[in-house]
Order: sequence, then structure tokens, then C-alpha cells
Amino acid sequence: MALLEAIGIGKTYPGGVVANDGVNLVIEPGEVHAVVGENGAGKSTLMKILFGIEQPNAGTLLLDGKPVKFANPREAIDAGIGMVFQHFSLVPSFSVYENVVLGSEPKAGIRLDRHKAIAEVEALSEKFRLKVDPLPPVRTLPVGQQQRVEILKALYRNARILILDEPTAVLAPQEVQELFVAIRSLVAQGKTVIFIAHKLPEVLEISDSITVMRQGKTVGQVKTREVTEKSLAAMMVGREVSLRVERKATDQSERVAAVTGLRVVNARGTEVVAGLDLNVHAGEIVGLVGVEGNGQAETLEAITGLRSIAGGDIQVAGRNVSSMSVLERRGLGLASIPEDRIAEGLATGASVAENLVATRLNDPRYVRSGLLDLKAIRANAQKLIERFSIRVGGPSSAVGTLSGGNMQKVVVARELSEQPKLLLVNQPTRGVDLGATQFIWRTITDARDAGAAVLLSSADLSELLALSDRLIVLYRGKIVAAFINQPDLSPETLGAYMLGLSTQTSEEMQVALK
Amino acid sequence: MSTLPAIDRSSRFKTMRREVGRALGALVIALLVAFVVVLLTSKAPFEALNVLLTQPLSRPRTIGLWIDDIAKLTVTGLAFSLVFQARQFAMGVQGQVYIGALAATYVALSPLGASWAGIPLGIAAAMLAGAFYGFIPGIAKAKLGANEIVSSLMLNYIAIELCNYLVRANLPKPQAGVLTTNDFPDSAVFPTLVANTRIDLSIIFALVAVVLVWFALYRTSWGLKLRLVGHNARFAEYSGIKATFIMVSAMTASGALGGLLGSMFVQGQTYGKLTVLFEGGLAFEGILVAIVARSRPLAVPIVAIFYAYLRQGAQLMNIRTDVPAEVIGIVTAIIILLVSSSYSLNFITRLFRRGPAASAAPAAAGGAAK
Repeated sequence: MALLEAIGIGKTYPGGVVANDGVNLVIEPGEVHAVVGENGAGKSTLMKILFGIEQPNAGTLLLDGKPVKFANPREAIDAGIGMVFQHFSLVPSFSVYENVVLGSEPKAGIRLDRHKAIAEVEALSEKFRLKVDPLPPVRTLPVGQQQRVEILKALYRNARILILDEPTAVLAPQEVQELFVAIRSLVAQGKTVIFIAHKLPEVLEISDSITVMRQGKTVGQVKTREVTEKSLAAMMVGREVSLRVERKATDQSERVAAVTGLRVVNARGTEVVAGLDLNVHAGEIVGLVGVEGNGQAETLEAITGLRSIAGGDIQVAGRNVSSMSVLERRGLGLASIPEDRIAEGLATGASVAENLVATRLNDPRYVRSGLLDLKAIRANAQKLIERFSIRVGGPSSAVGTLSGGNMQKVVVARELSEQPKLLLVNQPTRGVDLGATQFIWRTITDARDAGAAVLLSSADLSELLALSDRLIVLYRGKIVAAFINQPDLSPETLGAYMLGLSTQTSEEMQVALK
Repeated sequence: MSTLPAIDRSSRFKTMRREVGRALGALVIALLVAFVVVLLTSKAPFEALNVLLTQPLSRPRTIGLWIDDIAKLTVTGLAFSLVFQARQFAMGVQGQVYIGALAATYVALSPLGASWAGIPLGIAAAMLAGAFYGFIPGIAKAKLGANEIVSSLMLNYIAIELCNYLVRANLPKPQAGVLTTNDFPDSAVFPTLVANTRIDLSIIFALVAVVLVWFALYRTSWGLKLRLVGHNARFAEYSGIKATFIMVSAMTASGALGGLLGSMFVQGQTYGKLTVLFEGGLAFEGILVAIVARSRPLAVPIVAIFYAYLRQGAQLMNIRTDVPAEVIGIVTAIIILLVSSSYSLNFITRLFRRGPAASAAPAAAGGAAK
């Protein structure tokens, strides 16, 4: 008998978005069950229903064969379901054990029994091989360990079924392996794990069976050993997809950007970029590799002009830009696709046309003597909507009404509507579906082929390996390794440097730091 | 491709209808609550409501009061819309009104005031002074990081007390002890458009201001930059827009409108002189107008028409019946709550979709506008 079963789940959000439509899910006890699908396929909604955050409009949930209804997460927790979200819900200033027991504390009279709490947390972490020190405050732990605290939290509440929502998205390859060890030990001790993911190799490695979702429906449930990455991708997207990018041979002799001794200090006074030397040439993509928060974003922001630098020098197209404004740098042919499109790359309340022209408000084609040329602005939008096949009602629709992939296309369209000299890209396909990912990769590669120097940062190693000519690994704001991208370069090799476990000698680096 | 612009237009139309529905829904519910409050506080509730809903139209004089209120509410609504669109919560319109009025007064009571230049110079001086007064919290925020809400509110008190002091101590008065200045010479007072009413040049200025603000926001690059800063300041910086310049200039331009309102008060038919506390809290009601109009300049005068009507009705209710004018304060608060909280918005639109309430909305709105 199935442990947990969802039959014909339907969920329509107010506003008419159908997130789930006749979704079926059968979870056997003691298995790792992956739920895969593109963004917007309805995975998260389904999990929220299982965990009682959302209530379905149709369908039934069976737990141990008996119908159940969860009005809120509390009821789901009581029934033995635990969930670890992508964004952790921990109290940063509390210690690990305090976070774990918070809300169900062992009591001594009316006081929290600290010794018992610490002992229980240690026992749990021992039992399930989730090693973490119970005493330090959570904010001092790396992301991978914080995730373990979240899992311990669920286990402390006697979860039989553990839902992990894209747990690997924030982890370095080595940390992913550690997570998988923990998951296997959980399963060995009778727990059941539901694993949401979109990185297929990981899914194939860890899961026993897989449910594929597409556009709010379940496409099918398969045994992991019966599928390949390719057949799974085809099921997800509904057609064959190729995740290869064809690239031209380019002339990479001209140096477009030269960063020397760059230092950036953040608001808290910490040095986040510590003396960086970096060149980017026309016609190449340089990938910045690193666990998030090791200076990649700050480096890109410093070159764009959004962050003041504490030392060093930045040259673009032979000119020192260190003291230039954002607009002057853009005038030299700099374009930038920022990390977070909603926070930084778009004004979601403004129209598509206005977003597409926002970086060109000193261009006489669109603005003359302070007045907007609405016709030209609209025509520009019309043209870019067609060229980048953005799915939108029209130029005056608000950007906020678009899907994630189409929003990102608006950003890409604006930045690449004219061939840039230097293109800075940060997380170009985060939260973007496969179809749009392909398109965005193609567009960035086209810019490179046409002679742009591209500096790319991404949390997705497969993206960096697919696109880059050279790879530079940052750890704590310093370059610790550099590679020329070759087919035999593996994520594991990069991972060792990303985590600071090893460092190349300067001779080794020199080969790839031209 | 050819169908896209049509979809575009129809979706815009739909948004507009939804917004209008929201505003009217808020109005209907506010009137219902007003009705309940009147029922509880009045011995003759239906008579009181009758006064509230019909009396502003009873005589040319009351119609004049209504129109005068529309003009003033429009200008303060525009001033707030301008800073709200840049997402600056500057609350300084009241202070700008007092400073602007002072500047206009000094012009009007000078020899220049008695010449043809009395009106244009008075207005110009008021707008300049208001602009300067709006600039202060802007530059303080840009250079010192001072919170604009706090600094603009504090500046309001300074302006009110300064006006108070100058009227008592410095400006010429008809006799010692009164809290007003001498009447302005006729050449410095806005001429009436309709005899024996308060309908004067103010309404024209208000309408011109609507068009100018709309043009500035939607047809100039400054306006687009301002709106982009308001939508997402980080994005604006990333695009190369100087967000701090936009912020300061928005607050300065809004200050000029506040100054204009000051001149409309003292140079208009209502006063024709400067008196202490002349503004009576009207400037702040621009916040409500701007919120209901969603900071859209073209919607501001329309909201002002309805709101001014309620405001006049309430004042007449206060004078002619046993209901206190404070009731309208409650109604105002309810409108703000309804329009600004998204929860209630969904609640209202759902109400409309269910049917019966749908017919009530236009009827009541029509009643108020009659």
C-alpha cells in the first residue's frame, strides 16, 4: 500500500491561474521520490498542498490509505510530514539546537531544558548522519549546514515523510554529495523523502522513482532505473531538447576589459573582493565560478558602476572607467544582465516599452529636448518583442504580468538589442524554464560570436561549463584557480576549488589567465 | 501580431474599469458606514443624510464652495501624486502651502501687489518658495539620509508657526490683535469667474496644473525616469538614471504645486488676505485624493470632484443638523482603508461579481454626483 497518495488534485489560484489540474502522485514507503518539471509546472503548489499551506479545490489525499485534509502545516506536521523550503525559515541569531526545538521545546518546569535539548539534537544528528554542531548561532553556518538544521527540525518533530524543495539549488557539488549521503541514511532508517528538483543528473542519482509534471498536470510516474537524462528531459518539456550550444571560432586577441587589483569592501566593512586581476577578451566568455557570496556579484557590480571600489583599476575598451557613471560606462558599450531581474533588472510596474528603453534615455532616437518620442519607443518595443519572441499582450502591458522566462527575455532584449562590447551576466537562467534557457544561452553565445567580451557568473555549474571559454574560480574574493574550458573539466574538479579545499599555484593559473 | 495591440488596448480598458470599480466600491461602502454612523448619532438621520447628499447643490453659493474645494483638492492631490509616483513619502504639502502663502502675501502687500503684476508675481513667488520648501527634505534625504516623512512633517510645523509669527509680528494688520493681515488690493486677488460665488481663477490653474503634471510624467524623459525610480529605484540606478536627482527634483516640483496652492488660498476669493491657520487641514486631504486616484494625474480631478462634494456635504451637515462634521473624518478613514488595502479591494471586486451590489454602485455614485 502506498504511504501517501494524491488523486486528481486540482488547484486554481484566485485570478484564474490553474496551478494543478488532475495531479496524481503515489509515494511508496521508504523510497526517495523525485518530482521534476520546469518552473511553473506546479511542483511547488503540489508540495504546498501536501504540507497544508494550500488547500486543493479538487481531489483527495490519502495517508496510509485513509483520506486526510490538512488545513494548515501544523496538521501536516502532526501527521508526520516535514518540509524543508528553498528559503530556510531559521532564526539567524539562535543557536542550532534552539532552532531545532523551537516550538516543541523539552521543558523542565516552565524553563527550557537546555541540556536535554542539546542531547536530543546531538542524538538526532548522529542517528541520521546529519553532522552539525548544536551550539553556534545559525547565521555563522554555511548554507549546507543550515539546510541540515532544517532537516533536523523536521525530524525532531517525528516526520516520516520529508519534502525537500530544490535542496541542491544552493549547494556546491561536495555539499550535494553530503546531502545525498544523509538522504540515503534517512531512507535506510525507514523515512520517506520527496525530492523536488530540476537538475536531472542529481535526480537520476538519488531517486528511486520519479513523477514528471508539466503545465500543472502529471505527465507520468517512472522508475528511475528505466529512464535516461534525455528521455526525462523530453518528458518534462514535451519534446526533444538539446542542451548543447554551438559556438563559432572567434578572434580573441583584443582585450576589452582589464581589471587590476580590484578591491571591494561591503557595507559591513568586510573585504569581499580582495585584489582581483582579470582580463576579458573580445569573442570569449569568461565564467566566474564560486559558491554564491565569494565576490562574483560584487565584481560584476563594480565593473557596471553600481558599487564603489576600495582599490584597483577597471579598464573598459582601453579607458579607465573607475570614476565613470553607470551611463558613461554603458556609453562605452557595456551591457549587463543582472542577478535578480525583479529586484534589479526590471521595473515590474512599468510597461514593456518603458523597460526596454530605460537604459537609453539619453539617446536622441527616443528622447529629444527632454520629450519622449512615444512612437519610436513603441516601435522599438514592437521590434524587440518580435525579434526575441517575447510572449506579451503588447508594448504597453506591464512587465509584472509576464512569466519569469518572458521577463528575463525583456532584460536580455534590452541589453542585447545592440551588440555590446562588454557583456556582464549574472545568473541568466535562474528560475527560467528549459525553453527560455536554451534561447538565452543562444543569445549570449551569439553576442560572443559577434565579438562581445562576456563575463558570466552563475550558480549552475553546468551552465558555466556549457558556455564558457575560460573559467575562473573565486574563493573569498580571490582567484584560487583558472581553467581553459575543455570537455574533460568536471564539476567535481571545480568544486574542490570552490570550497577552498585546494588552490592552484600561480604557474598553473597563468596558463588560463591571459 | 496584428491582434496584439487590440489585446493591449482591451487589457488597459479592463484595468481602468477595475480601478474605477474599486474607487466607486470604496465610496459606496464609505457612504453605507456614514449612514450607520448618522443613524447612531442623529435624531433625524434621514434629514441629515439628505443634507449631506443634496445640499452642496442647493444654491449657487454652495456650488461655488464645492468648485473651490475641487480646485484646491486637485492641486494638493497632484502634489502628493508627484512624490508618490517617485515613491517618496514626503508629507510637506501643508508646509509648502503656508510658505507659499507667505511669499504671495509679501508680494500682494508690496507696491507691486497694487499693479497688474500682483497676481502673476504673487503666484510665481509662492511657487518658488514652495519649491524651495520641498527641496529641503529632498536634499536632506539625498545628502544626509534624513527620512523624508519625518523631515517634511517637522517642516510643516515650522511653516505654520512662522506664518503665525509673521502675521502677529510683522505683516500689516487692520488693527492690533486680529490674526489676519490687511486685505490684499483687488489687483492681487484672483477675479471671480461667476459673480457672487467663490469660483475664481483657482479652478483654471488647477486644470492647467493637471495637464502640466500629466505631460511631465508621461511625455517627458524626466517623468519616465521619475516613474521608473518609483517602480524600482535599484533598477533605475542600474539603468544609469540618477535616482537621487530625480527624487530631489520630484520633491521640488511637488513643492512648487504646494506653493501654488498657498497662493490660491490667500489670493483667492475665499480670503484675499493672509490669516493664521487658513488652510484648515485641507492640504493633507491630498493624500487621500492621490491614493484613490492611484497617483494618476488625470484621475486626480475626478476623485477631487467626488471628495469635495462629500466634504462640502459634511460641512453643511455640521452646520444645519445635529450630526458633527467628525463623521466625515470616519468616512475619510474608511475610504483610505478600503482603497489602500488590497484585501478589501479583492473583497469589493468579488462583491461586484456576485451581482446585486453591482447595480448599487453606479446608482449611489450617480446620487453623489447629481
